[in-house]
Amino acid sequence: MDPIRRSLLGQLARLSAGAALVPLSSVAGAGINAQPPRREGDPSKRYGMLIDLRRCIGCQACTVACHIENDAPLGNFRTVVSQFEVEQESTGEVATFMLPRLCNHCDNPPCVPVCPVQATFQRQDGIVVVDSERCVGCAYCVNACPYDARFINEKTQTADKCTFCAHRLEAGLLPACVESCVGGARIIGDMRDPDSEISRLIEKHRDELMVLKPDKNTLPQVFYLGMDERFTTRPDAKPGIWDVLGMDGKEVGYEFGH
Amino acid sequence: MSLVTEVVVPRYGIAWYPWAVQYFFLIALSYSTLWLAAPGLILGKQAWMPTARIALLACVSTTLVAPVALLADLHQPLRFWHFYGYPTPWSWMSLGSFILPLYLGAVVLLAWLAWRPALKARSRQNDGWFSRVAGWLAWGEWQAPRAVLALVGLGALIVSLGIMLYTGFEVAIVKGRPLWNTAWLPPMFVATGVIGACGLVLVLNRISSLRSPDTNRQMLAALVAACAITGFIALTWFLDGVNAVSGSVAAALNSVSHSAAWRTTAIEGGIAGVLLAALALVMRRSPARRRAMGWLLGLLALHVAWMFRWVVLMNVQSVARNSAGFHDYHVAFGSYGLLGIVGIFGLWLTAVLLIDLFVPWREAANDPRAEPVSSAPAAPDISSTSASPEGAPSHG
Repeated sequence: MDPIRRSLLGQLARLSAGAALVPLSSVAGAGINAQPPRREGDPSKRYGMLIDLRRCIGCQACTVACHIENDAPLGNFRTVVSQFEVEQESTGEVATFMLPRLCNHCDNPPCVPVCPVQATFQRQDGIVVVDSERCVGCAYCVNACPYDARFINEKTQTADKCTFCAHRLEAGLLPACVESCVGGARIIGDMRDPDSEISRLIEKHRDELMVLKPDKNTLPQVFYLGMDERFTTRPDAKPGIWDVLGMDGKEVGYEFGH
Repeated sequence: MSLVTEVVVPRYGIAWYPWAVQYFFLIALSYSTLWLAAPGLILGKQAWMPTARIALLACVSTTLVAPVALLADLHQPLRFWHFYGYPTPWSWMSLGSFILPLYLGAVVLLAWLAWRPALKARSRQNDGWFSRVAGWLAWGEWQAPRAVLALVGLGALIVSLGIMLYTGFEVAIVKGRPLWNTAWLPPMFVATGVIGACGLVLVLNRISSLRSPDTNRQMLAALVAACAITGFIALTWFLDGVNAVSGSVAAALNSVSHSAAWRTTAIEGGIAGVLLAALALVMRRSPARRRAMGWLLGLLALHVAWMFRWVVLMNVQSVARNSAGFHDYHVAFGSYGLLGIVGIFGLWLTAVLLIDLFVPWREAANDPRAEPVSSAPAAPDISSTSASPEGAPSHG
């Protein structure tokens, strides 16, 4: 092998090895992808939500109320209730499991540090919001959220997500999903206030509460009561609804087209 | 035991469109071709000059077009200035938005310095508009010392490391997509980028009619090395995952075992990669085979580099995170899909043709003392003789 070729190969080897040897930890230590300071909002509050699954009947009133309140485009949801049919194989008994999903307003939100223009940020009261005037629509946050809580709103062409209805909270109202919940399954409140309903419920059920995907270290602030641990991660389920085809061979099994 | 069936779940679309694939593909070709041009252009190795000329053409054209694809992937492209209005040092994407213009500037400056002597020479010929444009592009009679070119080249190489790091880690830090969340992804992007770059230089060597045998030889050697490194990285990633529960490998195995489409992709990717490495290894031994088949191998290498990015960026987004199964993703016909893909390739072709039309890149010399065109010493005879009837008649 001639020396020139060797020098190039050497460069290539150094190049790949160099890139490989930068450990993620040192990068994180340098402050890249670290949580930026929170801004706006009331620093004396920390909003959170507790969802009592025992009270959820899967009526999707929250889904509809949120959709109307926040003018989400058809097919995109800030909150939705996933529903599963669970069959006990030995007995053949069938039950339905309801799982309301929304933004978890994590204490370590992975969507915030990725935003290249600080359009998405966490307020001091814990609510994660998007400044749609500043958002460039890069969709980095949509990919970064492990909960699929974000989407690109086709009307605004910017990132969109649940805000705990911050505009309603500020006016002394409850979020649309909480207000419309027929079973009273959703409880929102200030977790820094020890006398708030959510604080009392968290205190009472501390050992039974679960969050979604705890392994992602996002520290979600939406807590589920009456949760089955198998549903805290991606459910090991049969994707039944994709299989429902019409006479023309096209999917008809879902209403939420995209 | 219980059987769980999904009854109601929303359908989640993809967030990054094929534009992203085009950007990651072109920018990888860009920094890799820059490094392939380095031995000849920056270090002054004469045997590498034919390769350096082609690599420089490839580098400039891909560097110019890549940011267009990136811009197109924004849903609010006119707000791109927000990147500079609100600098965000903790975001990889924001860091990238500052590295990218630096890199683009360095590459364009490097190419300009490298092409200037030949541009000046053409401006002195009586070739109508082409001479006039060459004169404008050369901009003055001054002669830049070789050290300046080497320094700018060195700067471009250093900034290119920033591009490699940011494009890799931007994706690799996303915990929400386990398949991306591995430290092996950034080096894999670089290694497959070099594969694609070798392929592009091989193809351009053929279709530009330069047909430099040196370039074929060098590129096949580099291709073999890049394939070996890619294989090594893939294997390490896999062993890492098998031995120490890496979410990335587990997610990959899960996808492959549950989806026929992923199985097909894995098999196709594996075959293409192994075939490429094997053919490169066999062909590099014979000059005749290199000349006859080099460009075909180049096309295969480009396919491998592009497909890798397609699978990583598009297919991974179709792996559901909160529902069962896989999201259907069909490439749309419009600008979010096929039109975008074809359009970017078309734009790249336009860039290459425009450069070919107005810049005598074949004569780009690294040594300003050697007056270009007539006596460019490094230009192998074939390049000047076979190139002129093919590429030159339109402009002398």
